[in-house]
Amino acid sequence: MKVLESAPHRYDRGIKILTLGKINKAYDRIVETIKKEDTVLDIGCGTGMLSYRAVLKGADVTGIDINSEMLDIAEKRAHNMELKIQPTFIEMGVAELNNFEAHSYDVVMSGLCFSELSDDEIKFTLKNIKRILKKEGVFLLIDEVKSKSIFKRFLNIFIRIPLIIITYILTQTTTKALTNIEERINKAGLMIESRRFNFLDNFIELHIVKEVKE
Amino acid sequence: MNISYYVYYGFITVLETLLRLFPFPAKTGYQNVGNPNVDSPVMLTCNFHLTILRLKKATKGLNYHLLVANSKGINVWCAATGGHLNNHSVISVIKTSGIEDKVNHRTIILPQLAAPGVEAKVIQKKTGWKVLWGPVDAKSIPDFLEQNYEKTTEMKQVEFRFIQRVEMAIMWTFLIAIVLMPIWGPLFKIEALFLLAQITLTSLLAFVSFPIYERLYRREKEKKKTFLSLGNLLVLLINLAYSSIGIILYVLVYKRDTSWILLRWCIVSFLMVFLMNLEIKGSTPTYKSDSHADKLYDVKIDLEKCKGMGICIDVCPRNCYEMDELKKKITMPRREFCVQCGACIVQCPFDALYFQNRKGDIIKPETVRKFKLNLMGKRN
Repeated sequence: MKVLESAPHRYDRGIKILTLGKINKAYDRIVETIKKEDTVLDIGCGTGMLSYRAVLKGADVTGIDINSEMLDIAEKRAHNMELKIQPTFIEMGVAELNNFEAHSYDVVMSGLCFSELSDDEIKFTLKNIKRILKKEGVFLLIDEVKSKSIFKRFLNIFIRIPLIIITYILTQTTTKALTNIEERINKAGLMIESRRFNFLDNFIELHIVKEVKE
Repeated sequence: MNISYYVYYGFITVLETLLRLFPFPAKTGYQNVGNPNVDSPVMLTCNFHLTILRLKKATKGLNYHLLVANSKGINVWCAATGGHLNNHSVISVIKTSGIEDKVNHRTIILPQLAAPGVEAKVIQKKTGWKVLWGPVDAKSIPDFLEQNYEKTTEMKQVEFRFIQRVEMAIMWTFLIAIVLMPIWGPLFKIEALFLLAQITLTSLLAFVSFPIYERLYRREKEKKKTFLSLGNLLVLLINLAYSSIGIILYVLVYKRDTSWILLRWCIVSFLMVFLMNLEIKGSTPTYKSDSHADKLYDVKIDLEKCKGMGICIDVCPRNCYEMDELKKKITMPRREFCVQCGACIVQCPFDALYFQNRKGDIIKPETVRKFKLNLMGKRN
């Protein structure tokens, strides 16, 4: 969602409108599995929408993002909420994930970040997520995807044409949805445990595990 | 290279030149040019489609590894000063493209014009790769490699060459025509074609005459006034004279009925010239737009901090700096050519350079590094 990223202070409200308020429910749903004292890594944390939810669950959260202005907002939010344990925010891209220790996190999560990455970056990130996660670790992913149904894809494009035009005029960029993400996750040696689509199939919520429980 | 390549190259060049205000993103990641081996140089560029195409054409016959970094489809200089081609894009392409397995050295050549946005120090610290600043123009790359990565003064300097001026004039004409012709066409009918011809002629003449304007501007550059200045006024007058060529031609063609159509014609011409004059400096790589507040800031040197490393000499696209070999300090003998791109400030490892305006407001190096140049005044 480039149009919103270029104006960090409008990001949250914009995303909420675009997803008709559903994004907050999706975020709430996806952090449900996080337990107290889990160590959590939020990749592409942006304004910290997922991070603070995880903190409220009692987790120890580290958020990384390349946009320093978004991180400033995330930090401010965490500060204003007077959380007992403050999350840590670091300005860092996914290319630096190899600096994290192996088997060091219970949960890795990422909301609306993968669709901004290149194919090389996604491959690199998935490889490192597998390495960073503890044995029982979980990877939670929310992102834009392309529907498999041509009808829904068409409907989706139709609904979003005005949005795409506005985005292009304001930022001269277009958003792209993730393609073949499930296949790529499997290729990286991670296992998808459950998935949930929204009604247009343009948003996906994935629960991914490092190893299948016996 | 066969004919179809030239047709494709010509078509893309025309299309993307006409629409050069808009980004054309290309795929990021690794590409090999020629047949590079483990010792071949590694170069990086942005993912503006036309840039990659031109780079490859200029370096035909060379063997090297090319990394295309994500600049959101914008050219190197604009992306770097606008914050789109930054440390993260460079680190990412170095570490995720697999280049580290393809070569046995760790030196990467970045375009010199990426210097306002990419910090060589940070890249080296985070990836272990040493950054060399290449030339500003892809055409100088063969010579640059041949001379063992030594740059001549010409290779470092951005100029507003004739062909670039013509390209810029055509781009403006095309964009104006796209916006205005649907309105003018039905409104003025055949007269609209005259107007279009007039726009083309005026903007071509205006951009071609830019070296003359530069002389006028240079004289007053130190005064740092905004739109209302003698130079701007003189340039406006010259451009009005150019546009009056169209009016004279119109009178000659339509000998009768010149009364109010001519008046309308004059008003449209005047408005167009006036609008073009507001942004004529901003359309060049050698001047800052008058609307830009950065224009009022000068680069200042903190001589206490300067260690005479000369990185600023290497990255300055206007060759403003010179080394005082006796004192081992940097000097700025060509200060009046500075375009305030910020490259020297961003790259100085000792934070010895900063921006200051005449009122004494200072913009510190860390602010320039974070906000680059155009985030709507946020860097204050």
